[in-house]
Amino acid sequence: MSNNRYKLLVIEDERHITTLLCNLAEPEGFQVITAKNCQEGLLMFSSHRPDLIILDLGLPDKDGKEIIRRVREESSVPIIVLSARSDEREKVLSLDLGANDYVTKPFGAAELMARVRSELRAGRKGPEETRLPGGRFVSGDLVIDYDARRVTIAETEIRLTQIEYNIVSLLSQHCGRVLTYTAIIREIWGQSDAGSIKKLQVNMANIRKKLGERPGENRYIANELGVGYRMCRP
Amino acid sequence: MHRSHKPLTNILLSIAILLLSLMLSLVIQQQFQTQALIPAIFVLAVYLVSLFTDGYVFGFVSVLISVMMVNYAFTFPYFKFNFSIPANAINAVILIVVTLVTSILTTQIKRLEALRLTAEREKMRANLLRAISHDLRTPLTTIYGASSAIIDNYESFSDDQKRQMIEGIREDSFWLNRMVENLLSVTRIDGGGLELIRTPAAVDELIDSVLVKFRKRYPDQEIELSLPDEVCFVPMDATLIEQVLINLLENAMQHAEGMKRLSLGVSTDGDYATFSVADDGCGIEPERLRDIFTGAIPPKAPSADSRPRNAGIGLSVCRTIVRAHGGDIRARNLPEGGAEFSFTLSMKEEP
Repeated sequence: MSNNRYKLLVIEDERHITTLLCNLAEPEGFQVITAKNCQEGLLMFSSHRPDLIILDLGLPDKDGKEIIRRVREESSVPIIVLSARSDEREKVLSLDLGANDYVTKPFGAAELMARVRSELRAGRKGPEETRLPGGRFVSGDLVIDYDARRVTIAETEIRLTQIEYNIVSLLSQHCGRVLTYTAIIREIWGQSDAGSIKKLQVNMANIRKKLGERPGENRYIANELGVGYRMCRP
Repeated sequence: MHRSHKPLTNILLSIAILLLSLMLSLVIQQQFQTQALIPAIFVLAVYLVSLFTDGYVFGFVSVLISVMMVNYAFTFPYFKFNFSIPANAINAVILIVVTLVTSILTTQIKRLEALRLTAEREKMRANLLRAISHDLRTPLTTIYGASSAIIDNYESFSDDQKRQMIEGIREDSFWLNRMVENLLSVTRIDGGGLELIRTPAAVDELIDSVLVKFRKRYPDQEIELSLPDEVCFVPMDATLIEQVLINLLENAMQHAEGMKRLSLGVSTDGDYATFSVADDGCGIEPERLRDIFTGAIPPKAPSADSRPRNAGIGLSVCRTIVRAHGGDIRARNLPEGGAEFSFTLSMKEEP
């Protein structure tokens, strides 16, 4: 197994954060490669072909988003972005550029490692697998039957409209991952206009009501304020 | 009045005021057969124009138009321009001087008002900075002290002692982080004089996000909710308003001694949405109530060894944020005990 360990590339200029990430990931059996800036990061990426990239957006030489753009030109390796709380715009931009997820600084060890494992697991399965006919999505007592386009909670059918079903189904196919408003709107309605986000939010409010979600609980779908939505992992 | 109007609004306002005065003057001339009142009416008109428009320009132009109109319509020879009659010329000069002075004075008053506002904001910022420096030192002392103690005497502490100190480091850095978030919120408002970007936020999502964050820190505290039944949207910077609500809830957790019930409510009334956080704790001392949002350090500041507390910073940040949204925040003691903080935001979307 030792040659077969997952390789994480950490691109971060703060030495203490890099050390922390190494200390978190190495005991869990990951091999950690580090880079201090964009240039080094891209170099490390092409020479080591990591299984996952943890990327800080504020790098000294270039904007970290440049790395997302360059990496996405040739690879679908999962990218987790480290971002500051007040930068929803940065989060959204990074996700729309192709980052898979973000973790807000300061982060807890458990939270970050959970995201890392989650992305690696999702990468192994590939999104196509869940789209297979006859596929079912199960998260706790929530079951989505993709063939019958039916959603049930504890075996009670939840009556969703066409659009509501499409949204739930879309989120479930990217379960554990935050989808931005723009990404959802693009998939559901094709293109976005000024009122799209509102339309999406109204639909989401109805979905959450129908699923019996109470504010602050988020059993099935978590809402990331100003960014998008995330179907919770089973 | 402090807000800059668009040029078109200024022009329309000036024209409207001048036309009104003209009509009023014509009626008076018809009814009372006297011209004595007419210069006074135009002085008033110029005063109003200067008051409600931006800068000197519109006032000055109104002065000229007024003089022309008075000379043309209300002095002999009627409905003809004639400045050569000495009485008319004097009349015109006096009118020009009086209206110019009025116009300059009103513009000056507006300038002073703007200055006063800036000064007030500066004072608020100074208070905030003072409160922050006061508050930052305590957690930093714990973090620095505990971590260097652990490094220097790693062997001599028991595992329990180490765990306790590390727990202290974690808690205090968590607290520091919230402080930084508050500061970021304020700089986001003050930073570079940029306008706040308000986008319609769904109230239920906002409250959901607030509750998730709150429960992370206080998993055992129940919050009673009352929300509108319908999905409603309030234009706001959602991260900032989220911060306000978290600060208010946290303020209750820290200061409302003996609290059992904590409630969070949103209600809508026509064009306005009111957010409120209420507790049934000890209430607010009346002498604190007046300046609770100023960020001033309370007279009996917590002693250095007490747990770090948001000595007013959280609330002062709340007010800064709410005001930047064009709303206002209030605090009161409830008749049945406890305190309530509430603020109102406009639901109208900006043009």
